[in-house]
Amino acid sequence: MKHTQTKKRYLINFLALIVVFAVITLMGQLGGGTMKLKIAPSIWQCSYLIIMAASLNLVLGYLGQLSLGHCGFMAVGAYAAALISLAFQRAGFYTDKAGPAFLLVLLISIIVAGIAAALLGLLVGIPALRLKGDYLAIITLGFGMIIVNVINNLPFCGQQGLSQGSASSALYANGLGFSNDQKMQYLWLAALVVILCMTVMFMFVRSKYGRAIRAIRDNEIAAAASGINVSYYKVLTFTISAFFAGITGALYACCNAALATSSFAFTNGSILNSVFIVVMVVVGGMGSLTGSVIAAVVLFLLNYTIKNGAWVTALPSLLQNVFTYPMLVYSIALIIVIMFRPKGIMGSREFALCDIPRWPGWIRGYFTSRAANKAAKKEAKVHE
Amino acid sequence: MKKKKLLSLLLAASMTLSLAACGGSSDKEEASGNDTVVEEGGGTITLGMIGPLTGSLAVYGTHIEKGVKLAIEEINAAGGVTLSDGTYQMAVETKDDQGDSTECVNAINALISDGVGLVVGSATSGCTSAITSIANSEGVVLITPSGTADSLTTTMDYVFRTCFRDSFQGELAAQYALDEGYTKVGIVYCSADTYSAGLRDAFVAACGKLGLEIVAEESVATMTEVDYTNQFNKMVSSGAELVFTPFYYDVMGPYLVPQARSAGFTGVLLGADGVDNTETTIPAGADLSVYNDVMFVNHYATELATSDVSANFVASYQAKYGETPNNFDALAYDAVYVYKAAMEACGSADAESVQAALADTSVVYDSTCGTFSFDDTGTPIKNGVLMGYTYTEGDDAVSKVAIESLSLS
Amino acid sequence: MITFIQFLITGLRLGSVYALIALGYTMVYGIIKLINFAHGDFIMVGGYTLFFTIPILMNMGVPGWLAVLPAILICACVGMLVELLAYRPVRKTGNNLTCLITAIAMSFVLENLAQAIPAIGPDPKVPYTLFSKTYSIAGVAVSQATIITILVSAAIMVALYLFTQKARIGCAMRCVSEDKEAATLMGINVNHTILITFGIGAGLAAVAALMYIAQYPKVYTTMGATLGIYAFVAAVLGGIGSLPGAMLGGLMIGIVQSAANTYISSSMSDTFVYLILIVVLMLRPAGILGKNVGEKV
Repeated sequence: MKHTQTKKRYLINFLALIVVFAVITLMGQLGGGTMKLKIAPSIWQCSYLIIMAASLNLVLGYLGQLSLGHCGFMAVGAYAAALISLAFQRAGFYTDKAGPAFLLVLLISIIVAGIAAALLGLLVGIPALRLKGDYLAIITLGFGMIIVNVINNLPFCGQQGLSQGSASSALYANGLGFSNDQKMQYLWLAALVVILCMTVMFMFVRSKYGRAIRAIRDNEIAAAASGINVSYYKVLTFTISAFFAGITGALYACCNAALATSSFAFTNGSILNSVFIVVMVVVGGMGSLTGSVIAAVVLFLLNYTIKNGAWVTALPSLLQNVFTYPMLVYSIALIIVIMFRPKGIMGSREFALCDIPRWPGWIRGYFTSRAANKAAKKEAKVHE
Repeated sequence: MKKKKLLSLLLAASMTLSLAACGGSSDKEEASGNDTVVEEGGGTITLGMIGPLTGSLAVYGTHIEKGVKLAIEEINAAGGVTLSDGTYQMAVETKDDQGDSTECVNAINALISDGVGLVVGSATSGCTSAITSIANSEGVVLITPSGTADSLTTTMDYVFRTCFRDSFQGELAAQYALDEGYTKVGIVYCSADTYSAGLRDAFVAACGKLGLEIVAEESVATMTEVDYTNQFNKMVSSGAELVFTPFYYDVMGPYLVPQARSAGFTGVLLGADGVDNTETTIPAGADLSVYNDVMFVNHYATELATSDVSANFVASYQAKYGETPNNFDALAYDAVYVYKAAMEACGSADAESVQAALADTSVVYDSTCGTFSFDDTGTPIKNGVLMGYTYTEGDDAVSKVAIESLSLS
Repeated sequence: MITFIQFLITGLRLGSVYALIALGYTMVYGIIKLINFAHGDFIMVGGYTLFFTIPILMNMGVPGWLAVLPAILICACVGMLVELLAYRPVRKTGNNLTCLITAIAMSFVLENLAQAIPAIGPDPKVPYTLFSKTYSIAGVAVSQATIITILVSAAIMVALYLFTQKARIGCAMRCVSEDKEAATLMGINVNHTILITFGIGAGLAAVAALMYIAQYPKVYTTMGATLGIYAFVAAVLGGIGSLPGAMLGGLMIGIVQSAANTYISSSMSDTFVYLILIVVLMLRPAGILGKNVGEKV
């Protein structure tokens, strides 16, 4: 009975993914101004934010270790992918950006980006994961800074290379930098990469490895006592997380066609930085991959619509003045969300299509439990 | 409990609102109602403007915005733009890119989808390089007021600029060093900043060509670096007579110049156009004599100006904003006037015809930096001016003087 | 030899400022275990207050450095306001990480609010130079500000140490940092104590701001971001919650940065600062002067 239900769930989710993929692929074929200028770039940006948040969730939510340097891995992926695509172009492997040769290069650079980041993740993880808590946080922050600083100083990919005008127009002309039309054309690729990555991550956290790392999160000593090789699993998770961060780097390079190390810094003016990736994970719910997906999309849309939304012009002029400071609105919204929903959007639950019929009951339950809490508190006060 | 939470939220919100209300009297009026960009006779032409209006680079973006708004106000007051089918008023739709390339891409896409065909932006080479390809493939004209990286305009037909390109300024600086008979030069630059590193590359290349010996080269990792003492200790011990310092005025005034002098460096500090306005960032109470012998290559000098555009600009800028304009203001102001001239030349506000008009390299534009015309890549051909700060002991003051016109020999 | 002295002095100059910032940082950090990203922005608040008040005081004929008093007042108010408005409500419902996110958000709120105020705006401002005298020691110039900064940091370190050891509130702070529940049981008002800690921490940020602008006279709205990170690094390097550790960590970072600048590569100095941090934490996982607390099973 239980078994068939699980099978049914998998089937439904599988079908849903196919539908999502088909819809996005179709959208890419449709064309149209808004589609090309707004929706397709948004889907691309969401795609790397989603994988980024989910991959950090493996470390932060499932393994319970705070990493503040996640964008460093993304930077490695982005530069690796960009350099590889340029190398292939120089070798004359492809000439136009529509043919199958380019697609092959694209896939190769995405995978190599992931592997490069994973190797670095291994290198960083082995020493770093001996530490815990805030000490680990600062050491990952340090590694993130070092990565950015080193890339800045590498003659072939630092500020003097790829990020500066010359090479970034080269990345657009010869490498994997996409124009708006190509973003439409390869929209299916973004969807496919997201779906594949998310599936692999789901499989990972549901496997025996996933159970092991959750055991480590809940109680490291108990986990070690029950025969789990704590260091091995920690480094493994960290490496896998870095692998996916590397893949997002490749997507970023495709989407932006210009690389600057400041985009991968610890903090910067926008929402793509190590700090805001942590924000996405916590807002989505630690230990909920679907929560990360939802949070990445919601926070992206929030940031996007604060600046480009039509509804902003409908606000009273006083509020519009506040909206000229997008980060101000964004931060206040964040504080409010955190105040009222500290567990994040999803908590540690996963979103599942089969659960939708059960939502009304859950919502009712949420309010009754709140009311019960309130009543309990009142009673406690009376007792005081 | 609950009440307290709500109260705190309300307090926070009201604080924000009151602050923003007094702060952001920024012009929102143009933001609405620009669905139709070009209306029949007596309509409005909307320019797009992209720049970092908030965040750590906000100073550049807000100055570009000020320059653009001033130019548009003047043009509208003078009757607007005359096209083949009537006169038009101008308006601007501003987008904030927060100094980030992704946001910059979103900004230009949003402008394009609003129907804007002429864009001024963005401030830094890094951000601009992310949108040149989009401007080109979507057929939108982009004039960057301050993107100096050489390659921004080379392969892109729709991209122009009103500033120098890096290599030109670097060559001018090296030429100056050679003319003055310096043989040993040093460089202090920022390796993580496209402007600084770009100028450094150009200067090094030019020195190699002219046979100047670079005796020491030091760098800092970020533009927010505060201490340059060690770098200048090395300059002193290497015996450099002139040090090339491609930084902005907010680094030169408070940090670099005093620290260089206190490290014992007495030679010439030669910078590029970013050094202009250093006089506004000299701390009160500081020893002013250290600012002697600080020189920089610049676009214009009001004393040497051949047209009165420059003087007019400075006067009207001061009247409107109550402060001295800097290069970002001037170059953005120029960008709008270049658009006006191009639109009037082709009689249309259509991006394609404006591009064709701008691509005509024989047209001479009157700008705050004197007159210039575009070369075939879309970079203005202008002469540089060497300016410097001199300290006069008598009245204990630093003054900015134009020293000579520079051109490549 | 001269180079050695020079780099040491530059290192002390940077390090003394980091140390002073880290002292305030470690106070808050030690007690509520919160990486307070907004601490750097308290320095920004202090910097702007000083920028506006120093000329007023100078016109009144009072020494300019006395402007630190209103700056301390304003910073302490801002610090306590941030705690009351944001951290306290979040702490009640959330965990460490939600507090961390609130701190990040608060940092952005402060930076952007400052930009929204017309008198501040995004243009960098250059405050009046205080303590600009230089002394020549063995042929190397040392600025008066550097010496004062080191003395002030040392004095504050000692004062804070005595305060936390001897004063009632100080003892309460230590108690709260060790065990909140037990502190409540002992009759300590935890929220009150944390509020006072924030007041003191932010007030120290104002002192740090004074010494910072005396050496590096520029204030801008995002100046806190880098300073906050360095303070965090210094506090952790020295050992979380340890006052002498914060001071040591700050000085060490300044000197390492300066040494890397002088002897290795100036554009890679950040890399060496973090490498030192990593090496130290590998050897001493709780920081140089931190206590390594064993885990109870």
